[in-house]
Amino acid sequence: MLLDPDSNFAKRLNPVLFLLPAMAIYLVFAIYPTISVVEYSFTDWDGINPKREYIGLANYERLFTDKIFWEAFRNTFVWSGVVIVINVGLGLVVAAMLARVWKARLIIQTAIVLPVVISPMAVATIWRWMYQPKGVVNLVLEAIGLGALKTPWLGSPDAVLYALAFAHSWSTVGLSVIIFLAGLQAVDEDLYDAARVDGATPVQSFRYVTLPALRPVTAVVFILTLTQSFKVFDIVWATTQGGPIRFSEILSTYMYKRGALENDYGYGAAIGVALLVIVSLATIIYMRIQHREEQ
Amino acid sequence: MTGRYALLFVLGVVAVLMASPLVLTLFSSLKPTTELVNPPWYPPFDVTFEHYIRVWNEGKFSRYFLNTLIISTVDAIAMIGIASLAAYALVFIRFRGKSVVQILFLVGLMIPVTAIILPLYSVVRSVGLVNTHLGVILADLALAVSVFIFLFSSYFLSVPKALHEAARIDGATEFQTYWRVIMPIARPAVVTTALLEFLWSWNDLLLRLLLLPRDEMRTLSVGLLNFQGIMTRDVTGLSSGTMIMALPVVLLFLVFQRHFVRGMTQGAVK
Repeated sequence: MLLDPDSNFAKRLNPVLFLLPAMAIYLVFAIYPTISVVEYSFTDWDGINPKREYIGLANYERLFTDKIFWEAFRNTFVWSGVVIVINVGLGLVVAAMLARVWKARLIIQTAIVLPVVISPMAVATIWRWMYQPKGVVNLVLEAIGLGALKTPWLGSPDAVLYALAFAHSWSTVGLSVIIFLAGLQAVDEDLYDAARVDGATPVQSFRYVTLPALRPVTAVVFILTLTQSFKVFDIVWATTQGGPIRFSEILSTYMYKRGALENDYGYGAAIGVALLVIVSLATIIYMRIQHREEQ
Repeated sequence: MTGRYALLFVLGVVAVLMASPLVLTLFSSLKPTTELVNPPWYPPFDVTFEHYIRVWNEGKFSRYFLNTLIISTVDAIAMIGIASLAAYALVFIRFRGKSVVQILFLVGLMIPVTAIILPLYSVVRSVGLVNTHLGVILADLALAVSVFIFLFSSYFLSVPKALHEAARIDGATEFQTYWRVIMPIARPAVVTTALLEFLWSWNDLLLRLLLLPRDEMRTLSVGLLNFQGIMTRDVTGLSSGTMIMALPVVLLFLVFQRHFVRGMTQGAVK
């Protein structure tokens, strides 16, 4: 041994050596870019030229008057709304039903959770095919007598955003279901017995026992779903790239187009900062609720 | 007991609806071209693997598959190392400024890749790692390391402090204690980390789209996106490509379902 492991110097060096690999990579490839995105957002830069010009808040002023930015913002919110209704609403109902089933539970749960592990890129390819004018969705609608609802889903200005949000929900609802299931297992069984003794129907005990007990878990799933929606990029980029026209443009695709494709780097960074602020705030709320739950 | 059967029936319908997009894609990837006139819910009568072979060889999916496998495997192993070492220091070693380090890593849980992708690209370019697997691996590690440091930390916190102290009193160095005493009992955290990091790495598109523009370096996600752009109407080819990307993680999930379910709820924040 070159160095006495119990010397004072070694004791001081220890934490440094243990933390160094993670810290170095983290500072260079996560923290530095996060600081940079804020810095770039104050510049007019094409992303290549060694000279960048500081223009103060001009990019943010531009954001406020940019109609496309607000369209993308609105679309991102609509997207979140659709996914929240499905993942929180249906997710809770399905989890509550699953919790009452023993036989066949694993196989049903597997079918619901499986899409969660599939790559968003593969999800995009699958649904792009399902949504084709003569694709599965339209064929099924026709077969069950709802032919009137047939539409070229990804080419339709009215349907495209909802169709993609639905596909995103398909690939994320399983996560909500397992979080709800974990929450349900923590609900006191005695409360259900008491409700049954009092003559409550299953729907009533869901309303008066399950729902109140699950309020914190529901908040967690709600915010989780919200942040997931704001982070979406792959599914939209691999299907419509924000089209037709801009009917499925969301913040991430708009940022990518401006910053990476049109070399309007400073402005793209300002959109990135907007995303960063929204997601960070939501995540802080998420962690606080979860922290309170654990205590 | 009709209520119970009604419940099972509804859940059965939900399960079939959830499974069908994947099952139908599998069907169309195994159908001879002549069977494509059938409705998509007809199973393949003459199962063929010709589309898989075609995509694997001519569509260069063999290359993409290998690239993805390399990146994901290195990601998973490296993540276990760096995250467990850092978590060990944060839990077992006393040092000044610990709370600052903890808060710094906490920030990482809030940074969405999407938001910082532009400057991240600049960083990777300025260190000359665009079009290298190493560049993607380092970025992957940086963006997810916080999640796994907290995963390991919460596991280490449940280890009795006496175990660590006993090893140190017996004259083991910190590293020996980490390697021989603590890591062997942290196996559940190791498995969860390996599975989740492998999965996230396997599935990512955005980072790879920017950092790996050269065809030989591409992963399955970028390869599939590119293939879809060129072969828009090649239904069988596209569904085979999709299955090549999806099947490995589906199998991994089926084998390690319990670990995945636990890990995904813990790492949900990413």
